[in-house]
Amino acid sequence: MILEVKNLKKVYGDKTVVNIENIQIEQGETVGLVGNNGAGKTTFFRMLLDLIRPTEGEIISKNENVSQGDNWKSYTASFLDEGFLIDYLTPEEYFTFIGSLNNLSIADVSAYLTQYGEFFNNEILNSGKYIRDFSKGNQVKVGIAAALMQKPEILILDEPFANLDPTTQIRLKNLLKAQTGSMTTFISSHDLNHVTDVCNRIILVEKGKVIKDFKTDENTLKELESYFSA
Amino acid sequence: MLSTFLSHQKKSFWRSRNRGGSIAAQVVLGLFMLYFLVIAAALGFGMTVLLPKVFPKVDVMTSFNGIILYYFAFDFLMRLQLQELPTLSIIPYLHLKVSKSKIVDFLNIKALFSAFNLWPFLLFLPFCFITIAKQHGILVVLAYILSIFSLMLLNNYLILFIKRKSISNILFTLGGLVVVSGFAALEYFKIISITAASDIVFRAITKQPLLALIFPALTYLVYKINSVFLRKNLYVEELSAKQEKKVSTDYPFFNRFGKVGVLAALELKLIIRHKRPRNTVLMGTIILAYGFLFYKPQVLQTNSFGMMLFAAVFMTGMSIISYGQFMFAWQSAHFDGLLSKKIDFKDFIKAKFLLFTIASTLLTIAASFYCFIDAKLLLLHLVAYLYNIGFTTVMVLFLATYNYKRIDVSRSASFNWQGMGATQWISIFPFILLPILIYWAFNLFHLPYVGLAAIGLFGLVMLLMRGFWVNFIAKRLEQQRYKIAEGFRE
Repeated sequence: MILEVKNLKKVYGDKTVVNIENIQIEQGETVGLVGNNGAGKTTFFRMLLDLIRPTEGEIISKNENVSQGDNWKSYTASFLDEGFLIDYLTPEEYFTFIGSLNNLSIADVSAYLTQYGEFFNNEILNSGKYIRDFSKGNQVKVGIAAALMQKPEILILDEPFANLDPTTQIRLKNLLKAQTGSMTTFISSHDLNHVTDVCNRIILVEKGKVIKDFKTDENTLKELESYFSA
Repeated sequence: MLSTFLSHQKKSFWRSRNRGGSIAAQVVLGLFMLYFLVIAAALGFGMTVLLPKVFPKVDVMTSFNGIILYYFAFDFLMRLQLQELPTLSIIPYLHLKVSKSKIVDFLNIKALFSAFNLWPFLLFLPFCFITIAKQHGILVVLAYILSIFSLMLLNNYLILFIKRKSISNILFTLGGLVVVSGFAALEYFKIISITAASDIVFRAITKQPLLALIFPALTYLVYKINSVFLRKNLYVEELSAKQEKKVSTDYPFFNRFGKVGVLAALELKLIIRHKRPRNTVLMGTIILAYGFLFYKPQVLQTNSFGMMLFAAVFMTGMSIISYGQFMFAWQSAHFDGLLSKKIDFKDFIKAKFLLFTIASTLLTIAASFYCFIDAKLLLLHLVAYLYNIGFTTVMVLFLATYNYKRIDVSRSASFNWQGMGATQWISIFPFILLPILIYWAFNLFHLPYVGLAAIGLFGLVMLLMRGFWVNFIAKRLEQQRYKIAEGFRE
């Protein structure tokens, strides 16, 4: 077990946004978090990354409470929104910066980036633009590539498929599938097709609570569709 | 339709997220404006008396005529730097059933709400009514008013047009300043004269008031050109400044500091690539001229360092205060990202110390040219320098952990008060008062140099304790991180 959520609660005023009794995640699992707007997905991810203080409960990453130590940062990479990018840098500068935090030299970083030529569709590197000047889809690509570059054991992505073009969506799915086994991935998505395709476990949340938690099989997509159309 | 636009504008002000801050800012700004308006009015009413004093051998009318065009030349330059383009606010209307000409009208009317369009009235009208009316009668006064009013609008719309053509930048302004001061120099050496030209123009108007109609005609022309241009180019991306090719840069100097250097370089890029932090830091260099106000021979002779200390501390530390008072909000847009990355809080704080130390060192070196006035000033600056890098840095960073106000760093610089709060005002006081208090305590016993030594020693001790302060502030930041991050998310 690499990640455990225990009695996690977040309350704003009199509204409970997240209320999760227990989730245990094994190493190598690809977990999809599914739920309508307001289900508390982003708040949950922020707590997972120690950006919001839980009202109650704790998140244990490799036997360590994330709000008490920093070790989890060395094996966890994430991309939630554009706030995770430093938008006044060029993509190259941003990758170099992220690399230097993980002790990668400039040569390491550019070697890593060569394999992303296709993923970037040649629009990102050497473009002579700051990240803030890119379209949202391209910003997401930069964020995801930077997260994967850290070779994390835990990867957390919030709605990675939104804003991406169809080709890149498929490429991203392949990327994520290729990593399974070594990496524990936690993604949220509104696209039921994509999550059921990529993830081997789905957690369905509603109003902050876990409604269903199950392994994916051939019936999963139908099950989810019937849940959401009800 | 226009009134709907204006009411939306009003709502966007009153309902903006940091309303408290922006109202307070508007009040302060309002007071400033009032101050300048009062000065303008005083100058305007006093012109009858002042002009003969400034230009003793010249007829009052001639000197008044002479300054009008000069004023509008400077007005032009000031506007070039300060007047903002009202563009962004129209985006939500572009796709609706609103005719383009209505939108253009709205932009043109909105552009009139500028202090620059008040000053000429206060500055020139009193003289028109007091002196010109007496000498030349009401028709000439009307001609003058018409000319001045038209010139003002001419500048107003010409600036908008130039800015929209996006050829404006700081170099352009500096160039213009050089040209105008060049004319002033030529005037001084009696080669060419704007004053004379201005005088000739307005003298002609005095003789034949109908000639004043040339100005409204010119203004109308510019207004029309501006409107047509707007009408044709009502696309948001074309109305904002042109993109130039951006290049990646690397500062090898910072590499020797390891991860701290990486973070410092990151922040340096933030400063260089955004207008507001850049101007904030540049303010610190402009203040280097303070010395000329405070370092007076008689003060230097008697070793009364009290007021000079004020100037010295300001000159060597102003950029620390002016930039540091908004820390860490400059990074609010990506603060979540920084927190989730593998960045040690201590390295984060050390990087700020590094930048502050470099800035203060550079300013101190620059300020050492005052040694041509008196070598004692080097000692004074050294004391102020130690105080700033020892104490001011620590104080600023400590207060920064109480700052939860977001700054959108990509927004423009002039008169932008976003992120102002109590912390910002508090920080100024100990920074100025503490060294002066220490000094005065010793000065009571007539020991000015001991007083200076005490301040220097205080700074030095704080500097030697820096390791402790880094840990202390890093710990504070760690405790406050949720609150700061929440504030920065809005």
